[in-house]
Amino acid sequence: MTAEKTLTIETDWYPGSVPDNASLGANVYIDTTYAFAAFHSEQREGLRIGSNSGAYQRASFVVGPRGSVVIGDYTVVNGAYLVCENKIEIGSHCLIAWGSLITDSWPSRRSTVAERREAILAASRNDRRPFPEVGGRPVRIEDNVWVGFDCLIMPGVTLGRGCVVGSRSVISSDVPPYAVVVGDPQRIVRFLEPTDAPLKADAIRP
Amino acid sequence: MIASGVHLFAVTPGASIPADWYPGTFPKNIDVGVGTLTDSTFCFKSFRSTLEVGFRCGGNVTLWRTSISTEEEAVIEIGSDSYIANASIVAAKRITIGSRVFVAGGVTIVDCDFHPLDPAARLADTIALAPGADRSKRQPLEIRPVTIGDDVWIGYNATVLKGVTIGNGAIVYPGSVVLRDVPDGVTVVGNPAAPGEGP
Repeated sequence: MTAEKTLTIETDWYPGSVPDNASLGANVYIDTTYAFAAFHSEQREGLRIGSNSGAYQRASFVVGPRGSVVIGDYTVVNGAYLVCENKIEIGSHCLIAWGSLITDSWPSRRSTVAERREAILAASRNDRRPFPEVGGRPVRIEDNVWVGFDCLIMPGVTLGRGCVVGSRSVISSDVPPYAVVVGDPQRIVRFLEPTDAPLKADAIRP
Repeated sequence: MIASGVHLFAVTPGASIPADWYPGTFPKNIDVGVGTLTDSTFCFKSFRSTLEVGFRCGGNVTLWRTSISTEEEAVIEIGSDSYIANASIVAAKRITIGSRVFVAGGVTIVDCDFHPLDPAARLADTIALAPGADRSKRQPLEIRPVTIGDDVWIGYNATVLKGVTIGNGAIVYPGSVVLRDVPDGVTVVGNPAAPGEGP
């Protein structure tokens, strides 16, 4: 059902509600408030979803107190995890497939043992949420990006417009626009024709 | 229900399972042999085939927490005595799995990528997929059926993508992503999967 301007979702199996600091556009679909079971954002706007987007199959918004998630229009988040302590931006017309995890907050490989120890100990002071002190590096996914299933999108990454991430890839550095990138470590296998360049995209949109 | 505390139930066309946690029924257009069991009708939650037989399955097959998902004109075929645990089998046209095949947890088998690669077509696809939008306006997809032979073992979290044929007796090492055909009796490993022994 459409969750616009409602605090709960009819026919929801989970006894939760849509967070007060979530702003949902017209015709947004969220299948269950279980999506927000780990939503702890204390930002004024912890989640913004544009119009005609949907979160299906237990997509989860795992968001820390300082985190905020922005999703554009006509984007499909199908059973993916967004783990956010800082900022995750997803553009319009994106397809995020099941089992994929997008995070801005895994510790850098340059982090020290002391930093990681402090982070894990802080979890017991903070509702048992892991990595509350890890700062996070924002993730940005531009328009019309397709992320296949079971991918990992790591902190600080920007996925360029129109790019495609193949299933089960692990993406830890930026992907240029219209690239098709696969594997772990990631490698670019081809570039697509930019047939959806912004002016052409406006012609396709309703 | 069968013995030893394992809650598995016969797959009976059109029937439901008493005390099933999911309030569904098995589809009517399935042809299933004797002794084929599943844990829940949830297995067929995304079964949308409208063919006369959209799921053809031999006897003594175990479908445990598995998703048998089909588009409207698709069929999934499984031989007999295969064991499929916690896998997603998603067909846009046809996926055929042989007999005595083991499909481990977390495996995904697809005969289609379910979205177009071309950026403009993909953008149009997101519009056709919006909540309540007209799904018939979805873009044409590249579909290439998948065939998996007899006595194949597919390891945990492996992925079998469109157009792949896996020969009899082959082994797919856990975590592999299979893009190309696998000959009879060969073990493949890695992403992309290639012949090898595994780590």
